[in-house]
Amino acid sequence: MGKEAPKDDVAMAEAEGAGPAKPEQQEDKQPAAPSPLAVLRSGVTLIKKAVEQKETRTLFGRVLRQTAAVRRHLTAAELTTFLEGALPTSSPAAAQLVEVVKQVGDTAMDADGAPAANGAANGAEAPAPAAPEPPAVPSNLPEVEAYAYLVTLMFLVDRKQYQLAQGVAGSAVERLAAHNRRTLDVLAARIYSYLSLTHERCGSLAAIRSALLGLHRTAVLRHDEVGAETLLNLLLRNYLHYNLYDQAERLRAKAQRPEASRSMQQACRYLYYLGRIRAVQLEYSEAKDCLQQAARKAPSSAVGFRMAVQKWLVLVRLLLGEVPDRTEFTSPDMAAPLGPYFDVAAAVRSGDLNAFSTAAAAHAATFRADRTHNLIVRLRHNVIRAGLRRISLAYSRIPLADVAAKLGLASVQDTESIVAKAIRDGGIEGVLNHEAGTLESARPADIYSTDEPAAAFHARIAFCMDVHNEAIKAMRYGEGGGATKEFEDATALREKQEQELQAALEEDDDF
Amino acid sequence: MADLSAAQSGFAQLQAAVSKGDLPSCKQLLSRLKLELTKLPALPPVYEQSANAQQQLELARQVLELAVLLAVRQGDEAAFERNYAQLRVYYSDARGLLPPSPQEAALTGLNLLRLLVANRIAEFHTELEVVPEEVRAAPEVAHVVQLEQWLMEGAYNKVLAARESASSDYYRHFLDQLSSTVRDEVASCSERAYESLSVADAVGLLMLGSEAEVEAYAREHGWEVAGGRITFKPAGGKGSGKEGGTAAAPAVALPALEIIGHCMNYAREIERIV
Repeated sequence: MGKEAPKDDVAMAEAEGAGPAKPEQQEDKQPAAPSPLAVLRSGVTLIKKAVEQKETRTLFGRVLRQTAAVRRHLTAAELTTFLEGALPTSSPAAAQLVEVVKQVGDTAMDADGAPAANGAANGAEAPAPAAPEPPAVPSNLPEVEAYAYLVTLMFLVDRKQYQLAQGVAGSAVERLAAHNRRTLDVLAARIYSYLSLTHERCGSLAAIRSALLGLHRTAVLRHDEVGAETLLNLLLRNYLHYNLYDQAERLRAKAQRPEASRSMQQACRYLYYLGRIRAVQLEYSEAKDCLQQAARKAPSSAVGFRMAVQKWLVLVRLLLGEVPDRTEFTSPDMAAPLGPYFDVAAAVRSGDLNAFSTAAAAHAATFRADRTHNLIVRLRHNVIRAGLRRISLAYSRIPLADVAAKLGLASVQDTESIVAKAIRDGGIEGVLNHEAGTLESARPADIYSTDEPAAAFHARIAFCMDVHNEAIKAMRYGEGGGATKEFEDATALREKQEQELQAALEEDDDF
Repeated sequence: MADLSAAQSGFAQLQAAVSKGDLPSCKQLLSRLKLELTKLPALPPVYEQSANAQQQLELARQVLELAVLLAVRQGDEAAFERNYAQLRVYYSDARGLLPPSPQEAALTGLNLLRLLVANRIAEFHTELEVVPEEVRAAPEVAHVVQLEQWLMEGAYNKVLAARESASSDYYRHFLDQLSSTVRDEVASCSERAYESLSVADAVGLLMLGSEAEVEAYAREHGWEVAGGRITFKPAGGKGSGKEGGTAAAPAVALPALEIIGHCMNYAREIERIV
């Protein structure tokens, strides 16, 4: 995961801001795209408004979305202007941030081409928006300060200045600790995730674990749901980064979680981490549920995240004895990274132990980096089972020596006990004959003579009913008041009818 | 800087007692030594920096390693778990602070084996995830990982054979426990997989010493032994009944109540929708 993990986090962070639409493309199409500076200034205005109205959800969401859309085009000069305008000169934060941005501005300009080009363009662009813009009024609001920190962090992370960003994030968290305002929660949560991200990139994730635990505790006590949820995920990520599945599970089991998640992205992450924990603990069906939900709920622009989920999901499904569809591996953005997993899945499907070992050995480095190496090792067993099943279907009687040769197993003795176990576990139907050294397959029972089809049919109907009922439930608690009322009327009506029916039935009984 | 002399002399005493095989006095010495360890400030979770911090940590690790091995000798599972939990910190969090221990692979392997024998497979795998790559490659650990795979696949004869080739007495202790579990597994597989089996073959399959032992084992499990053959009738009959039928089995009764229940349920739901 080492290489993948940060990527998916960034992708998620972007997706959080941008929503389903692709921000950059939109940006290019509109001829009069607002300059980053203007966006940041309007962000500050929005924040002030939000704080006045004590409204945190929608306005902050809008601010973060807009900011995410322009973060790539932000230049050091613009950021400095913004910081100087937004923060009072006396505040220590302003001095620190401007200083840091200056450092980066000097180095980054020479380092890579893109910001330099931006800088050149800036010369022509910058004065234009400055004129109509009302002069920014410095603000003492802690929210504005937090926003300034956040924008600077984004800027630094985009320029890959993780050491500097780490320092900025650290002091931002210190400043945040001084305030207890619910209007800060959304921004604070975002800053925490940057704190964790920078430490991850610098390889010092273990160092902030206790700090995160402390912040999580505080957030829970203050009913800061966004913060608590984010921090819980960061902690889980922190533990899993070091493969500490045991500790992660204990924290997860004990930590309070809000009943309804405040943010889809955080819920997705949580499901992904939970799925991984369960997979390691061999609870594959639960792991599959979690990972599948995470895959479905993940925003489509978070490619890195979806990829990580997909890798785990494929393995868990293989371990469960399912074979994922070929199409799941071939979607254009996933095909290349999922290649190794496709090879493994193909080997499991055909039950070819040799192909499996070759695939596992060829891609060992990838699996190790993805931390799925141990799951791959477990798959060997499934490969053997799949191969055995094919053999038992194809032959009514076969010598064990041939079975061993077909499966690529070393000795006949092993094969005998492996087959015996498969028969005991219900993997295949058949009888062993020790003297003759053969496996005699029972003819597959006619499935339609059992109640198996009825049960499958019932499961599907129940699923449809469930979907329908869930849909109704979701509508009932929607935002529009009218719909709710209508439904209440409907339920009241139904209840009345049911009562009448009940009464009628009782009368019937009396006769 | 903490004074190490008391702890060091305690450790020397303990080592002497262990090599003499004097278990009761080992226990006493160990608990006294652990009290001594609590006075050392460089140990987790404080990790105080001092000139001999590394020595302190190393000593503590040695003591705990010995304590774990002692627990195996005494057959005290609870003590094993407790001591290993204390020791684990030295293999994970404090890993960077001191040179790697020559015993690490052996002890990690022992712990994994313990979990495997106790059939705590989920914990086995969580524990395995934490084991660093270089330790995993060590023969002791790799062996245990291989054992787990054999168990999963059903290559039981290899597991039983592993006992013969165990590298140390400590491993043999756990492998003894494992082999009896495995024998029961083999028995339950055989019940289902064979119709009948000659006693001579069963000796090899169950890895028992003699035909007499097999006959005793067969009686325990209620198998019929006649004319040098074991017949697994009772288990076989039960098995086919459960499957719902070879051709000869009587037709299964319709689960009428269940079907009626489902239909009523559908009717109610559809009523609600329409």
